[in-house]
Amino acid sequence: MANALFYLMSVGAVAAALGTVLARNPIQCVLSLLASFFCLATIYLLAGFQFLAAAQILVYAGAIMVLFLFVIMLLNLGNPGTDDTTDTAMFRKKGAFVGVLVAAATMAAGAMAVTAGALPEAAQAMPEHGIDEIPALAGEMFGRYLLPFEAISILLLATAVAVVVLAKRDRKDAPRKGA
Amino acid sequence: MLDPQSPLVPTPDADHDWLWLIPALPLAASALCGALHYIEARKRLPKPAAGGHGHQGGHGHDAHAHAHDSHAHDSHAHDSHGHAAHHDDAHGGHGHEKTPAGVAAFAPFLAVASMLVAFALSLKGFFLLRAEGAPEAIRASNWSWIDTGSFPIDLTMHLDRLSSVMTLVVTGIGSLIFIYASGYMKGDKGYGKFFAFLALFAFSMLMLVLSSSLIGLFVGWEGVGLCSYLLIGFWYEKGWPAEAGQKAFVMNRVGDACFLIGSFLLAKTFFTLDMAMIAADTAGKLPEFGPKLFLAGLFLFLGACGKSAQLPLFTWLPDAMAGPTPVSALIHAATMVTAGIYLVVRLNPVFAASPELLTIVGVVGVLTAFIAGSTALVQRDIKKVLAYSTVSQLGYMFVGLASGAWAAAVFHLVTHAFFKALLFLGAGSVIHGMHEEQDMHKMGGLKKHMPATFITFMCGSAALSGLPLLSGFFSKDEILAHAFAHGGVYMGIWALGVATAALTAFYTWRMVALTFFGKERFDAAKTHPHESPIVMTLPLMVLAVLSVFGGLLGLPPVFHVAHALKEWLEPVTRAGDAIIAARGAHVLSHEVEWALLGLGSVVAIVFATLGFKKHVGGTQCDQSFAATRGRLHAFLSDAWTIDTKYTHWIVQPVKLLAFVIAVVFDQFAIDGLVNGVAGFAKSLGERTRRLANGKVASYGLWMGAVTAILVLVLIWNR
Amino acid sequence: MTVPHEHLFILSAILFAIGTAGFFLRRNVIVVLMSVELMLNAANLAFLAASRMHTLQAGATQPSLEGPMFAIFVIVVAAVEAAVGLALVIALYRNQQTVDLEQVSALKN
Repeated sequence: MANALFYLMSVGAVAAALGTVLARNPIQCVLSLLASFFCLATIYLLAGFQFLAAAQILVYAGAIMVLFLFVIMLLNLGNPGTDDTTDTAMFRKKGAFVGVLVAAATMAAGAMAVTAGALPEAAQAMPEHGIDEIPALAGEMFGRYLLPFEAISILLLATAVAVVVLAKRDRKDAPRKGA
Repeated sequence: MLDPQSPLVPTPDADHDWLWLIPALPLAASALCGALHYIEARKRLPKPAAGGHGHQGGHGHDAHAHAHDSHAHDSHAHDSHGHAAHHDDAHGGHGHEKTPAGVAAFAPFLAVASMLVAFALSLKGFFLLRAEGAPEAIRASNWSWIDTGSFPIDLTMHLDRLSSVMTLVVTGIGSLIFIYASGYMKGDKGYGKFFAFLALFAFSMLMLVLSSSLIGLFVGWEGVGLCSYLLIGFWYEKGWPAEAGQKAFVMNRVGDACFLIGSFLLAKTFFTLDMAMIAADTAGKLPEFGPKLFLAGLFLFLGACGKSAQLPLFTWLPDAMAGPTPVSALIHAATMVTAGIYLVVRLNPVFAASPELLTIVGVVGVLTAFIAGSTALVQRDIKKVLAYSTVSQLGYMFVGLASGAWAAAVFHLVTHAFFKALLFLGAGSVIHGMHEEQDMHKMGGLKKHMPATFITFMCGSAALSGLPLLSGFFSKDEILAHAFAHGGVYMGIWALGVATAALTAFYTWRMVALTFFGKERFDAAKTHPHESPIVMTLPLMVLAVLSVFGGLLGLPPVFHVAHALKEWLEPVTRAGDAIIAARGAHVLSHEVEWALLGLGSVVAIVFATLGFKKHVGGTQCDQSFAATRGRLHAFLSDAWTIDTKYTHWIVQPVKLLAFVIAVVFDQFAIDGLVNGVAGFAKSLGERTRRLANGKVASYGLWMGAVTAILVLVLIWNR
Repeated sequence: MTVPHEHLFILSAILFAIGTAGFFLRRNVIVVLMSVELMLNAANLAFLAASRMHTLQAGATQPSLEGPMFAIFVIVVAAVEAAVGLALVIALYRNQQTVDLEQVSALKN
């Protein structure tokens, strides 16, 4: 039954991904992506990664997608009619062929990588509390991966500063805008 | 190996360095005359005055173009066309407008003076060689031109008996012609330039006859060809003289190529280009190098054909009459055309080595003589008659060479120089007096208008036609006697030679009759024919005396007097004579000789009278001939259509080839290729430029595509 | 769940391909950024699938934790990148009044 769920969720994830890429309205894209993330979280859970599933929902779906939504709302891109650029017409342009080709190439690479060498069989049963148990994970994080952990905290700080600077409205621009 | 001390190849001696003066003086005169002309031409340029002179630049500036260097080829810069265009008559020379010579009036004095001093030096050389116990040849200091180590290329002046004869002829007759030209060319706007070219020619010809090696001879050979081109095209504004000059030069060039091949063969066989050494060494090399000597001789003979206007390469000489008459007299009668004969006599052992070659020379010579003689019968232009006559007489000289009678050929060369120069100068006098009329059908009865010209012209004609006891008689008959004595195929040559002698007498007296006798076929009131000034008639008189008494140089043995010229030239010809004698001697008995002399006299007198009588009445004989035998007349008149065939079969295909290469190959193929490359680069650039469209998406697309391909390739190869 | 490991990897490849296509071919900048997120997720799934494979193979005593660790860091970096990217989008919109990639071609030629 878990397998059936897995296949159902994977179909859902693919469908939602296609929805993201093909939808016209940016809001629809965001919502599709959210759906895709939920499906992926379920798949992580099924595969035995509980913490990651939770982190996926919390951070990806809860923070990043919300951020996307905020920006779309801010720029007023959500109303059909304001930014009515025919997005998906892009797929009908002559360059689209190249893009699809690239995608196909990627898939082919993946498939080849997988089928070329034999992957080891699953011989053991799933551990009782999943593969990423929190104590073990924490032990790794503050043991082996301490340096990257500290580095990304600095990265987060830098990002916060950068975002503020980049998105700041210049005082001089203000009176001129709105013409 | 030849002993370098032998008398045939003298050692260079600084005592004889005055020999270098003989060609150097005319060269200096040429440079000075050129300078004088340049000064004069600059003076005549229009002042860059105020306002509308129009742009004179199109004519080219005399100032710049006349950097006349005696060695450099004078670019034919246009003189200022200050006066109106010359109104042309049929073959008119200088127009009716006379230009004062200005400072260039000194030019003839310089030129004549240089030639007279050269003549004096030639006399000095002659007497030096004539003295008791004199060497057979003398040489001046050697000048090593190119040092190739094993093969010496030197230049030195070599005076032996043959060279002394040639230098005397060139400088003597040259001086007379220069004096004549100072009167003839008076009023021409290129007065100084003319003498510069003439003196340059004299320098080249003297280099030719005085050089010790084939290289020096070739320098002179090319030089005379160049000066011939310059002088034939002297009045290039008229158009056809320029073409005639080019034709002469190109035909000479063909001959020169053959000359070079011949000298290469000789150089390869003898490892030297010193002519005296080659001549001395031939007998030794004969057994093993027979075929090579034949080939070398053949090519040298073809070169001589180009220069001396023999059968395949003679059509330039009649066209060369477009030049002024003194040029025709000097170059195309007395000197340049004799260079071929000189070459053969100088290298007589090489030619004597193969009897087949001599036969070829004889056949070509006599055929040329006959064709040219028959062509002269129907010409109306007085200069063309003389031109074809020259070709014909040169053929005789080659017949003489072919019969092994080297001295006889040289004898005919000398006498021909006398009377042909005389005839040309006389014709020039007639043309000058008739105000540039050259058509004999428009002359007649001139003997009372130009008495001095008339008498001297008669002397020359008598000598040319071979009337007994004149110079031409002795030289021509000696050649024919030697041909007769040779036997075999030479009998045919002899018979044709006698026929040509008949033709010669006929056309010569036809010319005299039409020009000087009979009714005047022109309006005496309009054209006032007058006698030429003394500066022109004096040379005529001197040459007339020489033509009449020149025969004394070579009286035949039946007169029991020594043949002066033959004895004089004996050291030069002994090698060739020995080679021929080794194959069997040809001797004429006295009776046969008298018979031949008698036959010659009879033929000359009969046909001379015939020609004279038929034409003294007027042009009816010519006109009826043209009317009744139209095709024959046209055929003869066109020199047996040889030149026409050359134009049709050689010149036109070459022009077509040039067109094909220039337009088809050059424009389509090569330009297409070059422009195509440029165009390809341009289109490639344009297409590549469209990649940079400033759109991030497309940049990303390209990057992604290439990365995907890379990944695929890597996976594939794994 | 006893799904064979290949299937997880194939799913990851498909999601990555879709994300790539969207990245190259959409005109709206925000949707492009979203495609990037999709690609990162696909990469995450691949990491986790590999970790599962190593944990479940014969003779493995410890669970393989490199996979989840890496996935955590990927999530953090994705968040950072999304934030900075969106800040740039805002700046772009202020300047050009459009988020259409076809129209921002000032670097043309």
